[in-house]
Amino acid sequence: MAKKLYYMVAKDLLSECRALRTWPAMLLLGVVVAMMFAMQMDLPPERQRQIAGSLLWLTIFFAGSLALDRSFAAEREEGCWEGLFCYPVSPTAVYLGKLFVNVVALTALECVLIPLFAILTDVPLLAHPVPIIAIAMLGNLGLAAVGTLLSAVANGAPACGSRQSSYLLPLLVLPAVIPLVLGAAEATRLAIEHDFSTDWWRWMQLLACFAVVFVTAGIVLFEFAIED
Amino acid sequence: MSEIALRRSIYDYLPQWVAAPMVATAIVAIFLVAPTEATMGDAQRIVYIHVSVAWTALASFVIMAASGGMYLVRRNLAWDHWSRAALEIGWLCCTLTLATGSLWAHSAWNTWWTWDPRLTTAFVLWAMYSAALVLRSGIDDPHRRARIGAVVAIVGLLDVPLVIMATRWFRGIHPKSPHMEPTMQAVLATSVVCFTAFFAVLLLMRRGQFQLAEELDDLQEEFAS
Repeated sequence: MAKKLYYMVAKDLLSECRALRTWPAMLLLGVVVAMMFAMQMDLPPERQRQIAGSLLWLTIFFAGSLALDRSFAAEREEGCWEGLFCYPVSPTAVYLGKLFVNVVALTALECVLIPLFAILTDVPLLAHPVPIIAIAMLGNLGLAAVGTLLSAVANGAPACGSRQSSYLLPLLVLPAVIPLVLGAAEATRLAIEHDFSTDWWRWMQLLACFAVVFVTAGIVLFEFAIED
Repeated sequence: MSEIALRRSIYDYLPQWVAAPMVATAIVAIFLVAPTEATMGDAQRIVYIHVSVAWTALASFVIMAASGGMYLVRRNLAWDHWSRAALEIGWLCCTLTLATGSLWAHSAWNTWWTWDPRLTTAFVLWAMYSAALVLRSGIDDPHRRARIGAVVAIVGLLDVPLVIMATRWFRGIHPKSPHMEPTMQAVLATSVVCFTAFFAVLLLMRRGQFQLAEELDDLQEEFAS
Protein backbone atom coordinates (compact mmCIF):
# COMPACT_ATOMS: atom_id res chain seq x y z
CA MET A 1 0.00 0.00 0.00
CA ALA A 2 2.76 2.47 1.02
CA LYS A 3 4.67 1.76 -2.19
CA LYS A 4 1.56 2.21 -4.34
CA LEU A 5 0.79 5.43 -2.53
CA TYR A 6 4.36 6.62 -3.15
CA TYR A 7 4.05 5.95 -6.89
CA MET A 8 0.66 7.75 -7.04
CA VAL A 9 2.06 10.82 -5.28
CA ALA A 10 5.33 10.77 -7.27
CA LYS A 11 3.38 10.54 -10.57
CA ASP A 12 1.28 13.61 -9.79
CA LEU A 13 4.12 15.69 -8.31
CA LEU A 14 6.47 14.84 -11.20
CA SER A 15 3.80 15.64 -13.77
CA GLU A 16 3.10 19.01 -12.08
CA CYS A 17 6.85 19.84 -11.84
CA ARG A 18 7.34 19.05 -15.53
CA ALA A 19 4.24 20.74 -16.96
CA LEU A 20 3.67 23.48 -14.32
CA ARG A 21 0.00 23.58 -15.29
CA THR A 22 -1.76 24.25 -11.99
CA TRP A 23 0.50 25.47 -9.21
CA PRO A 24 1.73 28.72 -10.86
CA ALA A 25 -1.89 29.68 -11.69
CA MET A 26 -2.99 28.79 -8.15
CA LEU A 27 -0.19 30.84 -6.56
CA LEU A 28 -0.81 33.77 -8.87
CA LEU A 29 -4.55 33.76 -8.14
CA GLY A 30 -3.79 33.60 -4.40
CA VAL A 31 -1.39 36.57 -4.63
CA VAL A 32 -3.84 38.67 -6.69
CA VAL A 33 -6.79 37.93 -4.36
CA ALA A 34 -4.60 38.67 -1.29
CA MET A 35 -3.55 42.00 -2.85
CA MET A 36 -7.18 42.91 -3.56
CA PHE A 37 -8.28 42.04 -0.02
CA ALA A 38 -5.33 43.93 1.49
CA MET A 39 -6.22 46.99 -0.62
CA GLN A 40 -9.71 47.01 0.89
CA MET A 41 -8.42 46.58 4.47
CA ASP A 42 -7.75 50.24 5.18
CA LEU A 43 -8.91 49.81 8.79
CA PRO A 44 -7.60 50.43 12.32
CA PRO A 45 -5.06 47.72 13.41
CA GLU A 46 -7.44 45.98 15.86
CA ARG A 47 -10.15 45.64 13.15
CA GLN A 48 -7.50 44.31 10.71
CA ARG A 49 -6.50 41.65 13.26
CA GLN A 50 -10.14 40.60 13.57
CA ILE A 51 -10.78 40.05 9.84
CA ALA A 52 -7.33 38.99 8.56
CA GLY A 53 -7.94 35.31 9.40
CA SER A 54 -11.25 35.18 7.50
CA LEU A 55 -9.79 36.85 4.41
CA LEU A 56 -6.69 34.61 4.52
CA TRP A 57 -8.82 31.46 4.60
CA LEU A 58 -11.16 32.67 1.86
CA THR A 59 -8.11 33.38 -0.33
CA ILE A 60 -6.72 29.91 0.42
CA PHE A 61 -10.09 28.36 -0.50
CA PHE A 62 -10.51 30.23 -3.80
CA ALA A 63 -6.94 29.74 -4.99
CA GLY A 64 -6.77 26.17 -3.63
CA SER A 65 -9.94 25.14 -5.49
CA LEU A 66 -7.91 25.46 -8.72
CA ALA A 67 -5.54 22.72 -7.51
CA LEU A 68 -8.44 20.61 -6.18
CA ASP A 69 -10.24 20.79 -9.51
CA ARG A 70 -7.16 19.96 -11.60
CA SER A 71 -6.38 16.88 -9.47
CA PHE A 72 -9.00 14.93 -11.45
CA ALA A 73 -9.62 17.22 -14.43
CA ALA A 74 -6.06 16.44 -15.60
CA GLU A 75 -6.84 12.73 -15.45
CA ARG A 76 -9.85 13.22 -17.75
CA GLU A 77 -7.60 14.30 -20.62
CA GLU A 78 -6.24 11.86 -23.20
CA GLY A 79 -7.61 8.75 -21.53
CA CYS A 80 -5.55 9.08 -18.31
CA TRP A 81 -8.69 8.33 -16.23
CA GLU A 82 -9.11 4.87 -17.80
CA GLY A 83 -5.36 4.27 -17.50
CA LEU A 84 -5.34 5.25 -13.83
CA PHE A 85 -7.93 2.62 -12.91
CA CYS A 86 -6.20 -0.06 -15.01
CA TYR A 87 -3.28 0.06 -12.55
CA PRO A 88 -3.37 -2.63 -9.87
CA VAL A 89 -4.15 -0.08 -7.12
CA SER A 90 -7.22 0.21 -4.95
CA PRO A 91 -9.47 3.32 -5.17
CA THR A 92 -8.39 4.07 -1.58
CA ALA A 93 -4.74 4.37 -2.69
CA VAL A 94 -5.81 6.69 -5.54
CA TYR A 95 -7.84 8.82 -3.11
CA LEU A 96 -5.07 9.01 -0.50
CA GLY A 97 -2.47 9.80 -3.19
CA LYS A 98 -4.56 12.64 -4.60
CA LEU A 99 -5.33 13.84 -1.06
CA PHE A 100 -1.62 13.98 -0.21
CA VAL A 101 -0.79 15.92 -3.39
CA ASN A 102 -3.59 18.39 -2.65
CA VAL A 103 -2.32 18.87 0.92
CA VAL A 104 1.17 19.61 -0.52
CA ALA A 105 -0.36 22.10 -3.00
CA LEU A 106 -2.30 23.91 -0.24
CA THR A 107 0.82 23.98 1.98
CA ALA A 108 2.82 25.56 -0.87
CA LEU A 109 0.03 28.12 -1.29
CA GLU A 110 0.07 28.96 2.44
CA CYS A 111 3.89 29.30 2.45
CA VAL A 112 3.35 32.21 0.05
CA LEU A 113 0.04 33.64 1.32
CA ILE A 114 0.64 33.78 5.09
CA PRO A 115 3.89 35.87 4.87
CA LEU A 116 2.28 37.96 2.09
CA PHE A 117 -0.76 38.74 4.26
CA ALA A 118 1.54 39.59 7.18
CA ILE A 119 3.57 41.99 4.99
CA LEU A 120 0.60 43.64 3.25
CA THR A 121 -1.62 44.14 6.31
CA ASP A 122 0.86 44.46 9.22
CA VAL A 123 -1.13 41.78 11.07
CA PRO A 124 1.31 39.70 13.20
CA LEU A 125 0.44 36.36 11.55
CA LEU A 126 3.97 35.03 12.08
CA ALA A 127 4.35 36.18 15.70
CA HIS A 128 3.23 32.70 16.89
CA PRO A 129 4.18 30.37 14.03
CA VAL A 130 3.47 27.02 15.78
CA PRO A 131 -0.30 27.56 16.33
CA ILE A 132 -0.64 29.02 12.81
CA ILE A 133 1.14 25.95 11.37
CA ALA A 134 -1.16 23.64 13.38
CA ILE A 135 -4.28 25.48 12.09
CA ALA A 136 -2.93 25.34 8.52
CA MET A 137 -2.17 21.59 8.75
CA LEU A 138 -5.63 20.66 10.05
CA GLY A 139 -7.31 23.11 7.67
CA ASN A 140 -5.38 21.72 4.69
CA LEU A 141 -6.27 18.15 5.58
CA GLY A 142 -10.00 18.94 5.92
CA LEU A 143 -10.16 21.09 2.79
CA ALA A 144 -8.20 18.56 0.72
CA ALA A 145 -10.31 15.63 2.05
CA VAL A 146 -13.62 17.22 0.97
CA GLY A 147 -12.12 18.82 -2.15
CA THR A 148 -10.55 15.58 -3.43
CA LEU A 149 -13.77 13.60 -3.01
CA LEU A 150 -15.99 16.28 -4.54
CA SER A 151 -13.49 16.92 -7.35
CA ALA A 152 -13.89 13.25 -8.32
CA VAL A 153 -17.68 13.72 -8.12
CA ALA A 154 -17.65 16.93 -10.21
CA ASN A 155 -15.31 15.44 -12.80
CA GLY A 156 -17.33 12.24 -12.95
CA ALA A 157 -20.60 14.15 -13.35
CA PRO A 158 -20.61 15.40 -16.96
CA ALA A 159 -21.15 12.72 -19.56
CA CYS A 160 -17.92 13.66 -21.31
CA GLY A 161 -14.88 15.67 -20.31
CA SER A 162 -14.33 18.06 -17.46
CA ARG A 163 -15.68 21.37 -18.77
CA GLN A 164 -18.45 21.59 -16.18
CA SER A 165 -16.29 20.60 -13.22
CA SER A 166 -14.62 24.03 -13.00
CA TYR A 167 -17.89 25.69 -12.02
CA LEU A 168 -19.42 22.71 -10.24
CA LEU A 169 -16.56 22.20 -7.79
CA PRO A 170 -16.72 25.55 -5.93
CA LEU A 171 -20.54 25.19 -5.85
CA LEU A 172 -20.21 21.81 -4.16
CA VAL A 173 -17.18 22.47 -1.94
CA LEU A 174 -17.92 25.95 -0.57
CA PRO A 175 -21.13 25.06 1.34
CA ALA A 176 -19.48 21.87 2.62
CA VAL A 177 -16.37 23.65 3.97
CA ILE A 178 -18.19 26.52 5.71
CA PRO A 179 -17.54 24.98 9.19
CA LEU A 180 -13.87 24.52 8.27
CA VAL A 181 -13.39 28.07 6.96
CA LEU A 182 -15.25 29.44 10.00
CA GLY A 183 -13.18 27.32 12.42
CA ALA A 184 -9.84 28.13 10.76
CA ALA A 185 -10.66 31.85 10.57
CA GLU A 186 -11.70 32.02 14.24
CA ALA A 187 -8.67 29.98 15.40
CA THR A 188 -6.39 32.25 13.34
CA ARG A 189 -7.99 35.38 14.86
CA LEU A 190 -7.49 34.03 18.40
CA ALA A 191 -3.87 33.02 17.59
CA ILE A 192 -3.15 36.53 16.26
CA GLU A 193 -4.55 37.95 19.53
CA HIS A 194 -2.41 35.44 21.48
CA ASP A 195 -5.57 34.03 23.08
CA PHE A 196 -5.04 30.27 23.49
CA SER A 197 -7.92 29.73 25.89
CA THR A 198 -10.56 26.96 25.69
CA ASP A 199 -12.16 28.80 22.73
CA TRP A 200 -9.04 28.29 20.61
CA TRP A 201 -8.87 24.60 21.53
CA ARG A 202 -12.56 24.18 20.73
CA TRP A 203 -12.03 25.52 17.19
CA MET A 204 -8.97 23.25 16.83
CA GLN A 205 -11.13 20.28 17.90
CA LEU A 206 -13.70 21.25 15.26
CA LEU A 207 -10.97 21.36 12.58
CA ALA A 208 -9.63 17.96 13.72
CA CYS A 209 -13.15 16.51 13.80
CA PHE A 210 -13.85 17.85 10.28
CA ALA A 211 -10.62 16.32 8.96
CA VAL A 212 -11.27 12.91 10.57
CA VAL A 213 -14.93 12.77 9.37
CA PHE A 214 -14.15 13.70 5.78
CA VAL A 215 -10.95 11.66 5.37
CA THR A 216 -12.99 8.63 6.54
CA ALA A 217 -15.94 9.58 4.30
CA GLY A 218 -13.54 10.04 1.38
CA ILE A 219 -12.01 6.58 1.86
CA VAL A 220 -15.49 4.97 2.04
CA LEU A 221 -17.26 6.99 -0.70
CA PHE A 222 -14.46 7.52 -3.23
CA GLU A 223 -15.04 4.11 -4.80
CA PHE A 224 -18.64 5.10 -5.60
CA ALA A 225 -17.63 8.53 -6.92
CA ILE A 226 -15.26 7.16 -9.57
CA GLU A 227 -17.16 4.07 -10.64
CA ASP A 228 -18.02 4.12 -14.38
CA MET B 1 -49.54 4.28 -22.39
CA SER B 2 -53.15 3.28 -21.71
CA GLU B 3 -51.91 0.47 -19.47
CA ILE B 4 -50.10 3.02 -17.28
CA ALA B 5 -53.17 5.30 -17.17
CA LEU B 6 -55.55 2.45 -16.30
CA ARG B 7 -53.50 1.43 -13.29
CA ARG B 8 -54.56 4.58 -11.43
CA SER B 9 -57.48 3.87 -9.14
CA ILE B 10 -59.45 6.00 -6.70
CA TYR B 11 -57.25 4.70 -3.84
CA ASP B 12 -54.16 6.22 -5.50
CA TYR B 13 -55.62 9.63 -4.70
CA LEU B 14 -56.27 8.82 -1.03
CA PRO B 15 -53.15 10.65 0.28
CA GLN B 16 -54.17 13.80 -1.58
CA TRP B 17 -57.72 13.58 -0.18
CA VAL B 18 -56.30 13.26 3.33
CA ALA B 19 -53.66 15.99 2.99
CA ALA B 20 -55.91 18.69 1.46
CA PRO B 21 -58.26 19.01 4.49
CA MET B 22 -55.24 18.81 6.79
CA VAL B 23 -53.66 21.86 5.14
CA ALA B 24 -57.00 23.66 5.31
CA THR B 25 -57.22 22.79 9.04
CA ALA B 26 -53.69 24.16 9.61
CA ILE B 27 -54.50 27.41 7.79
CA VAL B 28 -57.74 27.87 9.77
CA ALA B 29 -55.87 27.14 13.05
CA ILE B 30 -53.05 29.59 12.21
CA PHE B 31 -55.27 32.49 11.13
CA LEU B 32 -58.45 31.99 13.17
CA VAL B 33 -57.69 29.87 16.26
CA ALA B 34 -54.22 31.05 17.34
CA PRO B 35 -54.35 34.18 19.51
CA THR B 36 -52.58 37.32 18.36
CA GLU B 37 -49.20 37.68 20.05
CA ALA B 38 -48.89 40.74 22.31
CA THR B 39 -45.54 42.13 21.10
CA MET B 40 -45.26 41.12 17.45
CA GLY B 41 -48.94 41.05 16.51
CA ASP B 42 -50.05 39.10 13.44
CA ALA B 43 -46.45 38.77 12.13
CA GLN B 44 -45.86 36.10 14.80
CA ARG B 45 -48.20 33.73 12.89
CA ILE B 46 -45.31 33.21 10.41
CA VAL B 47 -43.69 31.03 13.09
CA TYR B 48 -46.28 28.26 12.64
CA ILE B 49 -45.44 27.89 8.94
CA HIS B 50 -41.71 28.59 9.41
CA VAL B 51 -41.20 25.83 12.01
CA SER B 52 -43.20 23.34 9.90
CA VAL B 53 -41.24 23.91 6.66
CA ALA B 54 -37.89 24.04 8.53
CA TRP B 55 -38.55 20.65 10.12
CA THR B 56 -39.66 19.20 6.75
CA ALA B 57 -36.51 20.55 5.05
CA LEU B 58 -34.29 18.79 7.60
CA ALA B 59 -36.32 15.56 7.37
CA SER B 60 -36.03 15.66 3.54
CA PHE B 61 -32.25 15.98 3.86
CA VAL B 62 -32.13 12.83 6.01
CA ILE B 63 -34.47 10.95 3.60
CA MET B 64 -32.32 12.05 0.64
CA ALA B 65 -29.09 10.78 2.22
CA ALA B 66 -30.65 7.57 3.60
CA SER B 67 -32.24 6.61 0.27
CA GLY B 68 -29.00 7.61 -1.51
CA GLY B 69 -27.13 5.24 0.81
CA MET B 70 -29.68 2.51 0.05
CA TYR B 71 -29.13 3.07 -3.69
CA LEU B 72 -25.37 2.61 -3.27
CA VAL B 73 -26.00 -0.69 -1.45
CA ARG B 74 -28.87 -2.10 -3.59
CA ARG B 75 -28.28 -0.37 -6.97
CA ASN B 76 -32.05 -0.11 -7.44
CA LEU B 77 -33.24 3.12 -9.11
CA ALA B 78 -36.40 3.04 -6.99
CA TRP B 79 -34.25 4.31 -4.08
CA ASP B 80 -32.95 7.12 -6.26
CA HIS B 81 -36.53 8.20 -7.02
CA TRP B 82 -37.02 8.71 -3.27
CA SER B 83 -33.72 10.55 -3.00
CA ARG B 84 -34.49 12.81 -5.99
CA ALA B 85 -38.02 13.57 -4.78
CA ALA B 86 -36.68 14.38 -1.27
CA LEU B 87 -34.06 16.68 -2.84
CA GLU B 88 -36.70 18.70 -4.71
CA ILE B 89 -39.16 18.86 -1.80
CA GLY B 90 -36.30 19.66 0.62
CA TRP B 91 -35.07 22.48 -1.61
CA LEU B 92 -38.59 23.93 -1.76
CA CYS B 93 -39.00 23.70 2.05
CA CYS B 94 -35.55 25.16 2.66
CA THR B 95 -36.32 28.12 0.37
CA LEU B 96 -39.62 28.65 2.22
CA THR B 97 -37.75 28.41 5.56
CA LEU B 98 -35.34 31.17 4.51
CA ALA B 99 -38.14 33.36 3.12
CA THR B 100 -40.47 33.01 6.13
CA GLY B 101 -37.52 33.32 8.55
CA SER B 102 -36.42 36.53 6.87
CA LEU B 103 -39.96 37.99 7.06
CA TRP B 104 -40.18 37.04 10.74
CA ALA B 105 -36.68 38.42 11.48
CA HIS B 106 -37.61 41.76 9.94
CA SER B 107 -40.54 42.03 12.27
CA ALA B 108 -38.83 40.66 15.40
CA TRP B 109 -35.22 41.84 15.10
CA ASN B 110 -35.72 44.74 12.67
CA THR B 111 -33.37 43.15 10.13
CA TRP B 112 -34.02 40.94 7.07
CA TRP B 113 -30.98 38.79 7.80
CA THR B 114 -28.52 38.08 10.60
CA TRP B 115 -25.72 35.51 10.93
CA ASP B 116 -27.52 33.57 13.60
CA PRO B 117 -26.54 29.85 13.88
CA ARG B 118 -29.88 28.47 12.74
CA LEU B 119 -30.19 30.95 9.89
CA THR B 120 -26.65 30.16 8.79
CA THR B 121 -27.35 26.42 9.03
CA ALA B 122 -30.52 26.85 6.94
CA PHE B 123 -28.57 28.84 4.38
CA VAL B 124 -25.80 26.20 4.18
CA LEU B 125 -28.47 23.49 3.81
CA TRP B 126 -30.11 25.50 1.02
CA ALA B 127 -26.73 25.96 -0.74
CA MET B 128 -26.09 22.20 -0.53
CA TYR B 129 -29.55 21.35 -1.88
CA SER B 130 -29.07 23.84 -4.73
CA ALA B 131 -25.61 22.48 -5.62
CA ALA B 132 -27.00 18.93 -5.64
CA LEU B 133 -29.86 20.05 -7.95
CA VAL B 134 -27.40 21.71 -10.37
CA LEU B 135 -25.12 18.66 -10.26
CA ARG B 136 -27.95 16.21 -10.98
CA SER B 137 -29.30 18.31 -13.85
CA GLY B 138 -25.98 17.91 -15.71
CA ILE B 139 -26.04 14.10 -15.80
CA ASP B 140 -28.16 12.12 -18.28
CA ASP B 141 -27.34 8.54 -17.35
CA PRO B 142 -29.78 7.57 -14.53
CA HIS B 143 -27.40 5.24 -12.68
CA ARG B 144 -24.52 7.70 -12.81
CA ARG B 145 -26.87 10.47 -11.64
CA ALA B 146 -28.10 8.29 -8.78
CA ARG B 147 -24.58 7.32 -7.70
CA ILE B 148 -23.14 10.84 -7.80
CA GLY B 149 -26.28 12.26 -6.15
CA ALA B 150 -26.01 9.70 -3.33
CA VAL B 151 -22.34 10.57 -2.62
CA VAL B 152 -23.15 14.30 -2.45
CA ALA B 153 -26.20 13.67 -0.24
CA ILE B 154 -24.14 11.63 2.26
CA VAL B 155 -21.35 14.25 2.33
CA GLY B 156 -24.03 16.90 2.98
CA LEU B 157 -25.60 14.96 5.82
CA LEU B 158 -22.18 14.39 7.48
CA ASP B 159 -21.56 18.12 7.24
CA VAL B 160 -24.78 19.23 8.95
CA PRO B 161 -23.70 18.51 12.61
CA LEU B 162 -20.36 20.29 11.97
CA VAL B 163 -22.16 23.32 10.50
CA ILE B 164 -24.50 23.42 13.52
CA MET B 165 -21.54 23.20 15.95
CA ALA B 166 -19.49 25.86 14.15
CA THR B 167 -22.30 28.35 13.76
CA ARG B 168 -23.52 27.86 17.35
CA TRP B 169 -20.05 28.62 18.73
CA PHE B 170 -19.72 31.57 16.36
CA ARG B 171 -22.71 33.62 17.56
CA GLY B 172 -26.38 33.23 18.30
CA ILE B 173 -29.57 35.28 18.91
CA HIS B 174 -32.20 32.82 17.64
CA PRO B 175 -34.92 31.98 20.21
CA LYS B 176 -34.05 28.49 21.53
CA SER B 177 -37.35 27.42 23.08
CA PRO B 178 -40.15 29.89 22.48
CA HIS B 179 -42.45 30.43 25.45
CA MET B 180 -45.97 29.97 24.12
CA GLU B 181 -49.36 29.74 25.70
CA PRO B 182 -51.17 26.34 25.39
CA THR B 183 -53.39 27.39 22.42
CA MET B 184 -50.34 28.58 20.50
CA GLN B 185 -48.51 25.33 21.28
CA ALA B 186 -51.51 23.31 20.04
CA VAL B 187 -51.67 25.36 16.81
CA LEU B 188 -47.92 24.90 16.29
CA ALA B 189 -48.23 21.12 16.77
CA THR B 190 -51.25 21.00 14.40
CA SER B 191 -49.39 23.06 11.82
CA VAL B 192 -46.28 20.84 11.99
CA VAL B 193 -48.32 17.62 11.64
CA CYS B 194 -50.51 18.97 8.79
CA PHE B 195 -47.67 20.50 6.76
CA THR B 196 -45.53 17.38 7.27
CA ALA B 197 -48.43 15.30 5.87
CA PHE B 198 -48.79 17.73 2.95
CA PHE B 199 -45.08 17.56 2.05
CA ALA B 200 -45.09 13.77 2.53
CA VAL B 201 -47.87 13.57 -0.09
CA LEU B 202 -45.87 15.85 -2.42
CA LEU B 203 -42.90 13.52 -1.89
CA LEU B 204 -45.00 10.46 -2.74
CA MET B 205 -46.42 12.12 -5.85
CA ARG B 206 -43.02 13.29 -7.10
CA ARG B 207 -41.54 9.83 -6.49
CA GLY B 208 -44.46 8.35 -8.47
CA GLN B 209 -43.73 10.73 -11.35
CA PHE B 210 -40.08 9.64 -11.44
CA GLN B 211 -41.20 6.01 -11.38
CA LEU B 212 -43.56 6.60 -14.33
CA ALA B 213 -40.89 8.53 -16.23
CA GLU B 214 -38.52 5.59 -15.84
CA GLU B 215 -41.18 3.14 -17.02
CA LEU B 216 -41.85 5.39 -20.02
CA ASP B 217 -38.14 5.52 -20.87
CA ASP B 218 -37.97 1.73 -20.68
CA LEU B 219 -40.99 1.40 -22.99
CA GLN B 220 -39.50 3.87 -25.47
CA GLU B 221 -36.22 1.94 -25.49
CA GLU B 222 -38.15 -1.30 -25.97
CA PHE B 223 -40.09 0.10 -28.93
CA ALA B 224 -36.97 1.64 -30.43
CA SER B 225 -35.15 -1.70 -30.33
